[in-house]
Amino acid sequence: MGSLISQINAVVAMNVKSLPQRAWMSAATVFAVAIVVAVLLAFLAMANGFQATVAGTGARDVAIAMRQGAQAEVNSVLMKEQVDLLSAGPGIAKNETGPIVSAELYVIVDGIKKASDTKANLPLRGLSEAGMKMRGDLKIIEGRMFQPGTNELIVGVGALKEFEGFELGRELTFARSRWTVVGVFSMDGKVAESELWADIGSVQSLFQRGNSFQTVRLKLDDPAALEQLKAYNEADPRLKLDIKSEADYFADQASGMSDLIMYLGWPLGIAMAFGALAGALNTMYTSVASRAREIATLRAIGFGGTAAFVGTLAESMVLALLGGLIGAIAAFLFFDGITASTLGGSFTQVVFSFKLSPALIWQAAVLALIIGFIGGVFPAWRAARLPVVVAFRAA
Amino acid sequence: MSDLYLIFKNLTRRKLRLSLTLFAIFVAFLIFGVLSSFNKAFNSGIELSADDRMVVVNKINFTQPLPIAYVNKARAIEGIDVLTWCNWFGGYYQDPKNFVAAMACDAETLLDVYPEIVLPEDQKKAFMANRQGLIAGQSIAAKYGWKVGDRIPMNSNIFSQKTGGSAWDFDVEGIYTGSTEQFDTNSVYFHYKYFDESRSFGKDFAGWLILRTTDPALNDQVANTIDTMFANSFYETSTDSEKAFNKAFIAQIGNIAMIVTSVVGAAFFTILLIVGNTMVLAIRERTGEIAVMKTLGFPAARIFKLVLGESLLLSLIGGLLGIGAAWLIIGAMKAALAGILPTLVLTPDVALTALAIMVGLGFLTGIVPALSAHRLNIITAMSRQ
Amino acid sequence: MTENLFELKKVSKSFVKAKETISIFEGLDMTIKAGDFIAIMGPSGSGKTTLLNLLGGVDQPTSGEIHFDGKRIDNLSENGLAAWRAANVGFIFQFYNLMPMLSAAKNVELPLLLTGLGRSRRKASVEAALKLVGLDDRAGHLPKEMSGGQQQRVAIARAIVSDPKLMLCDEPTGDLDRATADEILKMLQLLNREFGKTIVMVTHDPEAAKYAKKTLHLDKGEFVKEELMA
Ligand SMILES: Nc1ncnc2c1ncn2[C@@H]1O[C@H](COP(=O)(O)OP(=O)(O)O)[C@@H](O)[C@H]1O
Ligand SMILES: [Mg+2]
Repeated sequence: MGSLISQINAVVAMNVKSLPQRAWMSAATVFAVAIVVAVLLAFLAMANGFQATVAGTGARDVAIAMRQGAQAEVNSVLMKEQVDLLSAGPGIAKNETGPIVSAELYVIVDGIKKASDTKANLPLRGLSEAGMKMRGDLKIIEGRMFQPGTNELIVGVGALKEFEGFELGRELTFARSRWTVVGVFSMDGKVAESELWADIGSVQSLFQRGNSFQTVRLKLDDPAALEQLKAYNEADPRLKLDIKSEADYFADQASGMSDLIMYLGWPLGIAMAFGALAGALNTMYTSVASRAREIATLRAIGFGGTAAFVGTLAESMVLALLGGLIGAIAAFLFFDGITASTLGGSFTQVVFSFKLSPALIWQAAVLALIIGFIGGVFPAWRAARLPVVVAFRAA
Repeated sequence: MSDLYLIFKNLTRRKLRLSLTLFAIFVAFLIFGVLSSFNKAFNSGIELSADDRMVVVNKINFTQPLPIAYVNKARAIEGIDVLTWCNWFGGYYQDPKNFVAAMACDAETLLDVYPEIVLPEDQKKAFMANRQGLIAGQSIAAKYGWKVGDRIPMNSNIFSQKTGGSAWDFDVEGIYTGSTEQFDTNSVYFHYKYFDESRSFGKDFAGWLILRTTDPALNDQVANTIDTMFANSFYETSTDSEKAFNKAFIAQIGNIAMIVTSVVGAAFFTILLIVGNTMVLAIRERTGEIAVMKTLGFPAARIFKLVLGESLLLSLIGGLLGIGAAWLIIGAMKAALAGILPTLVLTPDVALTALAIMVGLGFLTGIVPALSAHRLNIITAMSRQ
Repeated sequence: MTENLFELKKVSKSFVKAKETISIFEGLDMTIKAGDFIAIMGPSGSGKTTLLNLLGGVDQPTSGEIHFDGKRIDNLSENGLAAWRAANVGFIFQFYNLMPMLSAAKNVELPLLLTGLGRSRRKASVEAALKLVGLDDRAGHLPKEMSGGQQQRVAIARAIVSDPKLMLCDEPTGDLDRATADEILKMLQLLNREFGKTIVMVTHDPEAAKYAKKTLHLDKGEFVKEELMA
């Protein structure tokens, strides 16, 4: 056993010493693996960031009701009567003023996307005091809250960052009416940070919605109360709305895009990994070929095949791991935390940040190690089986 | 025996190394072919847009409506050839998951504004004559198995009928194809009149107007006239060329072109390293042979060509296989993705770009070993043997 | 057949190696008659290969002139020399130096790629050359499928296929056993006698030298002895 270890040590030392001869080849493998890992991580961080923003938004104990088949807030239309009727339903939490519900409007206005300098759909949400209270983690980080009954609005930090024209104090004109940005809000990285908020009454009159709404959010006594509310809704033909927990709604909204990114990211990562694997195999076969005489000589003086095998495999794994490490560091430096925006499920822009996580880095590291292992095991096998006579052959 | 034979024999002498290198090139071009086609499909709206076609939308956002009265006012403007209007229906077929890109448009003018919609004459007539008629693109019709003469229900996730319910009944009167392969045949058009009369809210409003100018040179003038005409009204307009409008819309999804370029760039950079190194190595191993060929009287330029030819051939074989595979994959994905990317095809210009990259790659990976082979000194090479 | 094929006039050759100049030849004069078969012998490092390289136009003298067939070749450009070699010289090496990926026939055909000959003419020449060295039945074989002697015969076929006047052989039998070496040497002798090839052969095997018409002994860059064969 001890002798095996010293044999392996001798072979590894020999490999390391001969590495400079294959410096370019080895560097190419390291870089190839690094690039694969960085590309994969970029996609995973994108999917993860989008997922975290959108799916992390919904609460379990808030129900959201929309017109049947609407699928997204933007499509829905609800009448005042429906809102009132639903508010009278069971399982809804109450405070001194009655059931905690928020009927909201969700309309789309243009913003200019800084990244492309083109118009983009931004959601303008009309809501009331109750709606804001329902969102516990709302924070005004600059300026102040809008005054009910005025043409004032507040902007989410994401929207402010990615789009032009919503700086604090800016005046906006929508259909002859002037609006002023009076505050900037954050909401713990949730999707609402990509929105503009204003008073429900003002938005209703601007968009001539009379006394209609698009969605209603209802604070539940507890998540289980959703079933009661659903049953109540089904039983009344005037309602028949689609009701989901807010958490489910946003999970649905997130799935399409983040699945798409994942379905794009993994096959790409794997395809590129195959390319890098080809490079790694080439490097390692070359490594074995260039050390064939040394390996055979060691075999001739009594070294076992195992040492040659382990030495070669170790070289490959070290190269791949090094590549993986460089790739992960590059991904972290270049991609982690960068913000981007895309069209979300409600046909409006969702601002999100790329988010790397230890789990993602681990996945990429596994990919690198697989490249290193497969890239090393076949050449190692060849090294282990090199005929001893090679040592005695003319150069 | 020709030089090509020599190149081929040199290339294929180490089968394992050749296969691995070819495979790496194959993968890079596969990625290029697939991603570029995706990017193309995303951008096809820009590329296929007609120069003389313009879109008039509500200035607040294109999802906000415009009064139908604008149609007649705008039509009077000089420089407009034809004008139609549409309203987004938010359609789905049977299940909310079965999204249908359905639009209620003015049937009289729709086909004049979109000559790309190719419809047999009898189907055209039948569609015009039936106010509940609908024309469906070939690809969506195939997806749901609609045939001319079928009566189909379609739901809206936005609108509802005056009589209640969100389902409308339509007669499939025509199935259209595109005048080019890339034209979107995944949409559905029906009569605005039928839709407007039966919907429970939003009557007398249109989603957007589309027009063709008599001359693209008049585009800016027409846009200005329209937007000035409705300025300071409750429904201000924003008029853009179809191209600009589509461009902005695609930019909403994200900078896909940048993502594609980065990934493809990363893939090519990787194989540049791998193939470049392999070529250097392969030629270095052949130092003695090259010296012998030079001794036999092969001029340096010819040796240079043989080496460069080898890297070019390598790149071309791997690249063509990769693009071929991309073509097969895109072909297989086309049907599955018709709903999201109806114009997904591997176009000849993607293939041509790939070809140019193959030549570039072959050149870049071959130039260093080719130069060293060119410079190789017979005496030193032979004594090193 | 007494005209001079080669004339070396005051040829000097030196190498610069690590700032040191090693002089191999200084003012060497030499003539080689057309149709001669010369063996060059001498201790290792005496300059045999260097001389062969100069004759073959693979290397150029530091000073002096080399005339071949009345024309100077020492001042030709690299491309000029390459063309001259292709037209006039057939080379035979100690380790055969065949292209490993090409069959015997293709190896023999290689020099013909430098001529303007058409396919069928090339094919005929290759067949004739292979027949001459007795390997017409091995045309399709790869070098690694042949013995050392056979490979050297392929190399000879390659050297004569374009019908050069001159053949230069550096230790052509150095890697072969006695019997095979004799076979190769007989073949060279035949080429010299029957086909009029002028042959210069470097060897350190006295038995091999016996096949030549005369042997020149080289030492420290000078000819020290000349032996004529019977
Ligand atoms: N390219 C070169 N650079 C430097 N020295 C050389 C070179 N080629 C040959 N020499 C030297 O010239 C001398 C003669 O070499 P060579 O002609 O090969 O001898 P031989 O073939 O007789 O053994 C040797 O000392 C050798 O080291
Ligand atoms: Mg020598």
